[in-house]
Amino acid sequence: MTDSITLDSTDTHGHSDHDDHAHPTEKQYWIVFVILAVITAVEIAWSYMGLEGPALVVPLIIMMVVKFLMIAGVFMHLSFDSKMPNGRTFYLCFGAAMVLAILVFLVVLAAFEFQI
Amino acid sequence: MTAIPVEDAVEVADDHGSDHHDDGHHTSLGLSNMKLAMWLFLGSECLLFGALISTYLLSKARFLTEVLAGNPEVLGTLPANLIEEFQAEGSVEPLFDIPFTSASSFILLMSSVTMVFAHQAISKNDQRNTRLWLATTAALGSVFIAGQVYEFTTFYNEGLRFDGNLLGSALYTLTGFHGVHVTVGIIMLLSLLVLAFRGKLNQDRAETLELVGLYWHFVDVVWVLIFTIVYLIP
Repeated sequence: MTDSITLDSTDTHGHSDHDDHAHPTEKQYWIVFVILAVITAVEIAWSYMGLEGPALVVPLIIMMVVKFLMIAGVFMHLSFDSKMPNGRTFYLCFGAAMVLAILVFLVVLAAFEFQI
Repeated sequence: MTAIPVEDAVEVADDHGSDHHDDGHHTSLGLSNMKLAMWLFLGSECLLFGALISTYLLSKARFLTEVLAGNPEVLGTLPANLIEEFQAEGSVEPLFDIPFTSASSFILLMSSVTMVFAHQAISKNDQRNTRLWLATTAALGSVFIAGQVYEFTTFYNEGLRFDGNLLGSALYTLTGFHGVHVTVGIIMLLSLLVLAFRGKLNQDRAETLELVGLYWHFVDVVWVLIFTIVYLIP
């Protein structure tokens, strides 16, 4: 008797094919770069506007996070590799660990700030 | 969904597991072992830089508190004019040259684009452009490092010492660690460039270049954080 297993058609391709056709085009890379450059310029301008407190810090943090996500997602291919079969599992685990790590650092900072 | 014999399935899996990269070993997550290892390494680097940034924030806050309270031990570690500027502004902002650092940041951002172009070129087995973009990325990284050396020299000339106070220790450690990472990245890029000139970097080894690219983009993304947190937020 011949044993048989069931495969989804993507299972036979998913592992290494992504390199050829899942990544952005040269034009998309330039667009992302221009957006990043513009955000950086806005950040610098914002820091010179004489604002203080949350009005200064919150927009700067938001712009920083946007730049972070764009570089990680497009240049580091995170948003593209995560579309591979099982790729999402790894990146979700990695993302969850990142969030947890950031929370730990924030708790440590809060502990010092508020003398807990 | 199709049912196929086990022997055929294994054969198909073997074919697809090795048709792009020489290493050919892929994890069940859809990543090669090398790429998974690089991501784990970058994860540990996140913790390192997270700790350094947290330390900087805590040290700066404590330093400023001491300066504003007029603690003579801390005041004695910096020139009087710098102390006066810190006290007037209530921040360490007068220490930084934002336009200069902004230009450095732009250069490092640019190097991330040239890095992805190098990866695209090697994926198409375009040797000439691979060498061109690798060299450009290394050159841009070198300009960034030169800028950091200039900045450190300026800090030193203004009286900020590594062992003088908390601000100096934390600032030099954080930006210095980042600078070392950029330098290591430049060495890796130059190594790839040598391999490319010797004809040993081809399409089959595109993943090697992609791994170096991941490291390079990580260094860039860390600078995005440092630039905002250290330089732009007073």
